[in-house]
Amino acid sequence: MSWGYAVRRIAQLIPTVAAILLASFLLIHLAPGDPVLALAGEHGDAEYYEFMRDKFGLDQPLHEQLLTYAGNVLTADFGVSYVRGRPVLDVVLERLPATLLLTGAALLLSTVAGLLAGVFTATRRSRVPDLTVSGVLLTLYAAPVFWLGQLAILALALGAGWFPVQGMSTAGSDATGLANAADVAHHLALPAIVLASQEIAAVGRLTRVGLRDELDSDHVRMARAKGLAEATVVVKYGLRRALAPVVTVIGGRVGHLVAGAVIVEVVFGWPGLGRLLVTSTQSRDVPIVLGIFLLVAVTVVVANVITDLCYAWLDPRVRYR
Amino acid sequence: MARRSASARLTARPSRLIRRPAATAIAATLALLASACAEQAPSGEPAAEPVKGGTLVVAISEDPELLNPAVTTSGAAHTASELLYNGLVGLNAQGEPQPELAESWQVDDDGARYTFQLRDDVTWHDGEPFTSNDVKFAFEEVLLKYHSRTQASLGEALAAIETPDEHTVVFTFDQPYGSLLQQLDVTEAPIVAKHVYQGGDPLEHPANTKPIGTGPFTLERYQPDAEIRFAANENYFKEDLPYLDTVVMRVIPDDANQVVALESGEVQWLWGVPGPDLERLRADGRFEFLETGVNPGGTNCIMTVTFNLDRPIFTDVDTRRAIAHALDRQQYLDRVQFGQGKVAEAPISSGISFAHAENLDDMPVHDPARAEQLLDAAGWVREGDGTRVANGVDGVKDGTPLAFDFLHYPNFADYGELFRAQLRAIGAEVELRPLESTVFVEKVFTERDFDTNVISYCNGTDPEIGVKRMYLSSNIGPVPFSNAAGYRNPEVDRLFDEARTTIGDDERKAAYQRLQEAIVADLPYVWLVETTSTRVFPKRCGGFSHSGHFAEAAYCGTS
Repeated sequence: MSWGYAVRRIAQLIPTVAAILLASFLLIHLAPGDPVLALAGEHGDAEYYEFMRDKFGLDQPLHEQLLTYAGNVLTADFGVSYVRGRPVLDVVLERLPATLLLTGAALLLSTVAGLLAGVFTATRRSRVPDLTVSGVLLTLYAAPVFWLGQLAILALALGAGWFPVQGMSTAGSDATGLANAADVAHHLALPAIVLASQEIAAVGRLTRVGLRDELDSDHVRMARAKGLAEATVVVKYGLRRALAPVVTVIGGRVGHLVAGAVIVEVVFGWPGLGRLLVTSTQSRDVPIVLGIFLLVAVTVVVANVITDLCYAWLDPRVRYR
Repeated sequence: MARRSASARLTARPSRLIRRPAATAIAATLALLASACAEQAPSGEPAAEPVKGGTLVVAISEDPELLNPAVTTSGAAHTASELLYNGLVGLNAQGEPQPELAESWQVDDDGARYTFQLRDDVTWHDGEPFTSNDVKFAFEEVLLKYHSRTQASLGEALAAIETPDEHTVVFTFDQPYGSLLQQLDVTEAPIVAKHVYQGGDPLEHPANTKPIGTGPFTLERYQPDAEIRFAANENYFKEDLPYLDTVVMRVIPDDANQVVALESGEVQWLWGVPGPDLERLRADGRFEFLETGVNPGGTNCIMTVTFNLDRPIFTDVDTRRAIAHALDRQQYLDRVQFGQGKVAEAPISSGISFAHAENLDDMPVHDPARAEQLLDAAGWVREGDGTRVANGVDGVKDGTPLAFDFLHYPNFADYGELFRAQLRAIGAEVELRPLESTVFVEKVFTERDFDTNVISYCNGTDPEIGVKRMYLSSNIGPVPFSNAAGYRNPEVDRLFDEARTTIGDDERKAAYQRLQEAIVADLPYVWLVETTSTRVFPKRCGGFSHSGHFAEAAYCGTS
């Protein structure tokens, strides 16, 4: 991997993020629905609306609002939530850890479990275990996350009683340190598994296909002929080469995980950004929605860059011409 | 009722001139009584005895976003913050004013001047004393600017708020104002502290997430979107209350998950239950139920079908009446509400007993045959395929089909389906248009681009709050939940003015009766169902009330 490639790939971040910001600004402002009407709820009169519009600068022309907003963002000022009256950065940052924990755990789980499932099925072709695991993977891949989540709650939380039904910690808990970590992990398990399920399936299927091709190739036959142990053959000669497309997919799946988190957070009452995005969109709390869009956009774009860099490292032929 | 006779006995300080509802006036000085027993009556059968201590975990659907009920009418914010605050008066289960921060009041000049005597033993959660200056500040700087409902109803009528001494507040109106006492509870007018909010922007004030109130509970911890923890206010002015040590509110956005959390024992209070789950919970045997039309986000709500009177097909009252006759309101109650509520019998909810009309002859009943007759007579004739087209309808081109759209929130889709089915039976075609709330409001109230719709109009505790806005000809326009029908009747406008300035129970009821007769004759709306929601809690708990102070006198035993 050359340094030039890395620098150019990173420089592309800036126009991408700016374009996303512009698109999302226009999208939310051109969508029907008026934040002030949403804020007024059932009542209020013309005087109240005028007062609020003036307060939030909504009476300015759209291009001026955009310029003001873009200028503020450059100085790391993301504005103040209409509904909460608090700085967007505070509101978003206090929910970020919960979402990072959930998506991080799901990413880790889907990568590890997906690779294991892929290797397992690829090395047992056309046998009952392969068919069984492949069948489970296909089912997981096809099942909608909200449905899977509710099933998991009914069966594993309410039915078997192994997991709590909702939330990130026990209600009213004062636990700190290890006890708290154990409590959060207990609450995390079910939503993380549900969120990871589709990704496990995706990673597993891809690994299976790639690895199987590799295991049929000449260099693997050569390695076997040399009498190497089967585990060494699979991991060193098969998996390493089969990984490149899988890594690409894992990077791209970060976006899917964030999108899935929106649903999983609602189903499990997980206090993260996804739910903030849903409620803020409904109330047209524009500063919050834009703040989250920006954060998610940057995350996904950065994840893609990291993926590309990893890919270039795995396969030195990748470079700019 | 026992409480009323007790209050009569306790009346020690007669006011100079008391004309407003007798019960209100008599209630004037029942300060002592207000404490322990006032709020705990309506909790169904008290299955457990009051015990001191313990924790109640409450499921809430949304994060409150801010814990200041004075700057918003959001149901989520009020649900989570009303335990922290008080109003000048409270409202009991019958909607009658009870002393709270004000221990007594008197009404002079035929209802144009209200003098409140405040308790002198109330302190804010930070230890500062509560005085009349707080009341004046809360109204002038916060409520009348940011509480959209109070601003709309009181803003114009109120002339001045004076504070002759630390424990007296005087409200003066230009004209007699009959409904002030219904608008002073913790939902309509929570009192916030002057020393906390002075000099800042109340909407962006840090105290909105670190609130200082006078209420039965203090805030212990607020974790956005996760949980809010309250601790008992040791210095609460109502003696012996609250019983609970701790109230924890958990944000659980999914209704189904709330029910599961109740069943698994993770929470002990649900504000409402989806109809299909209600039967299962009733059969379970572990739970108590409390059905009520009172909600922090809106009280005494009626599911109401609106006709856009600016559309030529609805100009003829007989066409509107025909559609009303086609609607079987009992089915909305049974199939959509799963029995939670009652069929609406008047434009004003039965929850406002002093204004609700009885025996309205013109209130349309389910009668499809009559509906067909009226449509035939109005010039809507059936074609071969059964749909009706105009043939001599005033203002409508011949051949125009009787077809119109029906706008609704996505969660009212069941109302739409039933509406469409019931109208197809009389030859009218309905196109359903589900719209998210912000878009719905814009389409209906700003653009007025709809034929019919369904809205949950909440009447509140007084017709001034949530009824008048639907009918005044001056209230058509860009304001959400204003006069959606575009109804204009000078006589009705006049009757509302008359009812507002009428003082005295019987006179006021008569004025509202006349008003509802006039409205029903015109049918700008069809009132379907008065909706209620069902609170659920384990049998070991009790002492709950309907209002925002639902847990003020609540307790949970161990068994």
